[in-house]
Amino acid sequence: MESSRRPDPSGIPLRRRRTLWGDAWRRLIASPTARLGMAIVLTFVLGTVLAHFFWPYDPKTDLDYSLKLKPPNLRPTAEVPSIHPFGTDKLGRDVFRRVVHGGWNSLRVGVISVGISLLVGGLLGLLAGFYESVPMTPGERVGLTGGVGLALGAIPAWLAENPIPAVLFAIAGGLGASLSSPSRSRRWLLFAGVGALLGGVPALFVSPYTAVVCALLGAAVGALIAFPLSGSLFSNIVMRLMDVILAFPSILLAIAIVAFLGPGLDRAMIAIGFVGIPTYARLMRATVLSLVQRDYVLAAQALGAGHSRLIFRHILPNTLSPIIVQSTLGMGSAIIWAGALGFLGLGAIPPEPEWGAMLGDGYRFLTSGAWWAVTFPGLAIMLSVLGFNLLGDGLRDALDPRLTR
Amino acid sequence: MTRYLIRRLISMIPTLLGVTVIVFLLLRLIPGDPAVAMLGEHASQENVQRIREQLGLNRPLFLDREALKQGDLKGFLDSQYIRFLGRLVQGDLGASIHRRIPIATELRQRFPATVELALAAMVVAVALGIPIGIISAARRNTWIDSLSMVGALIGVSMPIFWLGLMEIMLFAVILNWFPIGGRLDHAMEVRRITGLLLVDTVLTGQWEAFVDAVKHLAMPVMALATIPLAIIARMTRASMLEVLQEDYIRTARAKGLHQRLVLFRHALKNALLPVVTIIGLQTGNLLAGAILTETIFAWPGIGKWVYDAIIGRDYPVVQGGTLLIALVFVLVNLLVDISYAALDPRIHYE
Repeated sequence: MESSRRPDPSGIPLRRRRTLWGDAWRRLIASPTARLGMAIVLTFVLGTVLAHFFWPYDPKTDLDYSLKLKPPNLRPTAEVPSIHPFGTDKLGRDVFRRVVHGGWNSLRVGVISVGISLLVGGLLGLLAGFYESVPMTPGERVGLTGGVGLALGAIPAWLAENPIPAVLFAIAGGLGASLSSPSRSRRWLLFAGVGALLGGVPALFVSPYTAVVCALLGAAVGALIAFPLSGSLFSNIVMRLMDVILAFPSILLAIAIVAFLGPGLDRAMIAIGFVGIPTYARLMRATVLSLVQRDYVLAAQALGAGHSRLIFRHILPNTLSPIIVQSTLGMGSAIIWAGALGFLGLGAIPPEPEWGAMLGDGYRFLTSGAWWAVTFPGLAIMLSVLGFNLLGDGLRDALDPRLTR
Repeated sequence: MTRYLIRRLISMIPTLLGVTVIVFLLLRLIPGDPAVAMLGEHASQENVQRIREQLGLNRPLFLDREALKQGDLKGFLDSQYIRFLGRLVQGDLGASIHRRIPIATELRQRFPATVELALAAMVVAVALGIPIGIISAARRNTWIDSLSMVGALIGVSMPIFWLGLMEIMLFAVILNWFPIGGRLDHAMEVRRITGLLLVDTVLTGQWEAFVDAVKHLAMPVMALATIPLAIIARMTRASMLEVLQEDYIRTARAKGLHQRLVLFRHALKNALLPVVTIIGLQTGNLLAGAILTETIFAWPGIGKWVYDAIIGRDYPVVQGGTLLIALVFVLVNLLVDISYAALDPRIHYE
């Protein structure tokens, strides 16, 4: 920093050096709501992480019927010799302790499920957006067409109980993408004919009926891979798949998946991560589509930068802002969804502490007046989600000043 | 417009097929034998066999290559998925494992309860959310704006299952204003016409029952409406603020038009477009959120039934409920897309 303040030879004092992230950080901490969000998130993260490592808790042995459903007390009494700021639950367990330790599980679900959605969805969206606008290199076309050949060729191969045709279809796809010699109509015929043979001949060993069906399938696959497939096809397939997942309300699909997989925190993470994939895929694709049109990307292309260099050096770093914002907001929804799954008995398996499961445990005692067993775990969910939402909104304003109102 | 509609409907076919594949494959997520999982480990061999027969579990998943070997084309296609799809097209969702009744019949019975709850929640969310958003935008950066936006942010962060429980504590246990569960007092009976109690009681003139139904509806609606209300308020505000910066608004103001006229006649129409999308998307969340709300308030709708089925491992019911909600969601979003054309004259569909 010292050097940057030194006046340059022309005598004009240089402005202090400012970086993109430094500016964003200054804008972030200038906003009181973002500061509040950050404080809440930090409190929860620090509290649960410290508790996890330095305040041992074994849910399996935590049980004391003599202290069943005691209201909060801050001072030891004759009846309740120990201090329970949040009261005790139906098994006489300290609610405060379980809320603090439950936070570890909720935050873990949030981080891992957001990680799953981000990795899978981000990668799919990145590739879809990139290849939708940038033509594929010959090598990539060979890969794509060969891959499609392999995937579709797997059907006749499976019917013929023989894996070799699938491999041959992949090679045919590769050839279809790299050859240029026969003219259009001849290629259709050539590849369809080869496909019919590839599908039909191995199937002859199974039965003549199988051979007929496989030959027909093979001809169709062959016709499809006769010409190099374009990147927009890839993008189309990916986005249609995302549409299918988006046709379900997210929380419903997550509930259904865990209902069938069976309860468990790890399964909850997978389900929540899975239903979040389309969000990141769509966001990433939209971001990449707009970035690819920028002058600096065109300039890099003109200079002959390869695709991996374009993606990793020029595009990926610039997708970070929207991704960071979405991930922060995504943490909030993941925590709510994890709570919902836990509440329905589909999340953490008892006696493991988890906020949603604690609500599900405690709400039967609500009518008998035990408000504390329900109030505090829910408050923890609400506050932590609020924290992530505040922080996410703050980050959005900080990272994209054009949007600031 | 007609051509757009046809294209839109055709483009829905792969998505809908994909939805059926996902719902179909859900059953495959069960670790081990689904029939045993449903009946428990001590089930008799005949019962397990009956369930496998009923669900077609002894058929291959998608295609039967053994049948093809014999030249049996019909058998080749006679797989679990094709059967599932074939029954679906006829409106048959299979039967409940435990109660052995057709799922479609039960869903039809219970659907009105869920629709009533979701519709009432949506009406509340729209009726409060849009005005709050407008006022916030018009009185930008005043205390009323801050207050409603803080409220909206808390609403967005609210786990509705917890909110429902807190409502029970406050309004039922402490204040004793509203009954805790169900749609209607047991002593009352309303002739079923539409299945929507609020409508049926009015049609039959049973005002006492109407009041009771409203009382039963109040708490679940409050819980369910919170999130869409908050989202709609935020969206309306943001959208209004954007529109209010447009040139034509400045022109309207420069002409000396009254603020109210500018807000409602000029700005609101354009500002509501994105809000309509949000309303469509939120409908799906309302239906899915019904699983939580109905469970808490013992509301006899689809959500409660799906929850009971999850607990009782009645997997076909979970499949049926999931599929129905997804289909309604897809349909609502289609309607939203179409209504765009009616709302926005700038959009021309080829």
